[in-house]
Amino acid sequence: MENIYKPELVEILDVIDETPDIITFKLKFKDPEYHKEFNFLAGQFAEYSVFGEGECTFCIASSPTRPDFLECSFKAAGKVTNAMRRLQTGDTMGLRGPYGNYFPVEEMKGKSVVFIAGGIGLAPVRCVIWNVLDLRDQFKDVTIVYGARSVADLVYKRELEEWKQMPSVKTVVTVDPGGETPDWNGEIGFVPSIVEKVAPNAENTVAVICGPPIMIKYTMPVLEKLGFKEENVITTLENRMKCGVGKCGRCNVGNVYVCKDGPVFTYKQLKELPEEY
Amino acid sequence: MQAMKQFITTDEKLRQLVHALSKNAWNIISAGKEGTNFIYINDGKDLVINADSKPTKLSAKEFFFPKTEPLFFYKKNHDGVDLLDPKDVLRKTVLFGVKPCDAAAVPVMGKVFNWDYKDEFFNRRVEQTVIIGMACSYSDVYCFCTSTGLSPESSKGSDVFLKPAQNSSYIAEAVTPKGEAFVVEFSSFFDAANENDVKLLLNSPKGPEKKFDANQVKQWLDGHFEDPLWNEVGETCLGCAQCAFTCPTCHCFDIVDESCGYNCGRRVKNWDGCQFGLFTKHASGHNPRGHQPERYRQRISHKFKYYQDKFGEILCTGCGRCTRGCPVGIDIAEIAQEINKRNSVLV
Repeated sequence: MENIYKPELVEILDVIDETPDIITFKLKFKDPEYHKEFNFLAGQFAEYSVFGEGECTFCIASSPTRPDFLECSFKAAGKVTNAMRRLQTGDTMGLRGPYGNYFPVEEMKGKSVVFIAGGIGLAPVRCVIWNVLDLRDQFKDVTIVYGARSVADLVYKRELEEWKQMPSVKTVVTVDPGGETPDWNGEIGFVPSIVEKVAPNAENTVAVICGPPIMIKYTMPVLEKLGFKEENVITTLENRMKCGVGKCGRCNVGNVYVCKDGPVFTYKQLKELPEEY
Repeated sequence: MQAMKQFITTDEKLRQLVHALSKNAWNIISAGKEGTNFIYINDGKDLVINADSKPTKLSAKEFFFPKTEPLFFYKKNHDGVDLLDPKDVLRKTVLFGVKPCDAAAVPVMGKVFNWDYKDEFFNRRVEQTVIIGMACSYSDVYCFCTSTGLSPESSKGSDVFLKPAQNSSYIAEAVTPKGEAFVVEFSSFFDAANENDVKLLLNSPKGPEKKFDANQVKQWLDGHFEDPLWNEVGETCLGCAQCAFTCPTCHCFDIVDESCGYNCGRRVKNWDGCQFGLFTKHASGHNPRGHQPERYRQRISHKFKYYQDKFGEILCTGCGRCTRGCPVGIDIAEIAQEINKRNSVLV
């Protein structure tokens, strides 16, 4: 009998502390054949298990262009994520996936891309960033705007540095006023105002945005003012999920199942949905 | 009209059939006595065949979608974890005396369990089960099957369908190939029905009066995600989810781990309900449906709009259990009626 709820086993190759409560796991399937066969696209998510604790839903934070391992980043917030925090390199977890739809990377080719992320919202955006950067010559201008509450809350710090060093990418990192340290050399200010300041050209440009609802709420008018069309602004939704495969009935927004019809939506699609996310 | 294959059987023969099934190691489940639940039986005398009986407290869905279903077992060892599929072998099962509102729910639920990814836990139970439905002559103020496109004589979802006839006999229709195979396998309990036998059929039960128009309910829902009605009905709801648990079509579930000691345990699928506040609550504390009116809107919309948008059927068979058991007397048919009223005002 085919069992859609049984995960595959993965081994934790590395544990990276991003912030005091955000951790990144580097994972590899225990079955090398399965690992080779496992294909996913940027923006898809998976169900991660700690046996005896339960399952949790996060996006796959690594890029499909780097198939040697999978990465996920999570904040220790609930029962399963707190159990995950106690795991170490070499431990075994479960993973089911990949599920859901993905960012239209193919359609983005030949266009400019601006990435806008806040807090841990960088995780689902990061997989697209690396996807685009690994195929850099197929895209026009690439801009990254990333903000967090404070310097301590910035995730993927070493990669932010790496992106800043890249001449082909414009990277702007900001922290909320009061969140800076004495030696902070990035921007200070909220993401929407930084986006306005950086002012990416809207022509032939796709915006990929993910972050706390409040950030998205105030960034959208800025993008509109800059001339971005609603169908060229793409985001990813997160709703509580259990099955990930359109059965368990909790992630729906109106008649849309986030796990099947999402999690990636254009702002145009999102505006047509009832406000239930 | 091409007549379905019809047979005639009697109360006595059905009781003997139970005996034969039992000898062949079938699981035999019968509707319980008035106001009780479905029960496992082994003896023909325990069989409840009563078209007049009130629907059981719980629907028949638990035989396809159990309250708790193990998905797999895990065992931790020094170099990892072993995962073991459930090894239980399902016995062939027959469900006797299922009311049309319960039988019809099985193919309705089958849609969500089989779009794209297939839930074989549900499918294998359906495959192993022969549903013997029966025309229903019970009707109370809570029943509303006729408003959901069904009737007391709908054979939807049944494999074999019984209609009461004179002299404690029944006309048995083989509705599906599985039902036909069952009748053939146990042919000594079913005789081919001739025209005279069919004449013995009792008058068709009328069923409850039609209370609302489901299409109009959907039409109204299409445009009224925000509406004062949700506050009116949602504010009285206690969020106990008895409506979801007794409903034959509600299929939402939770997935949780149950450990026995540190090293082993199982992951199970449990019934869940959209009326619970925790159902959609994120770990961050954010809750897309944070208040009871929003959760009640979800319940009504899922039943009369979303499921229809997605699968072309409404997620309700009109059994009335949600209303019969509601501790605060929320009446789903009354709400649908109210929606109809508002819709006609608009038109």
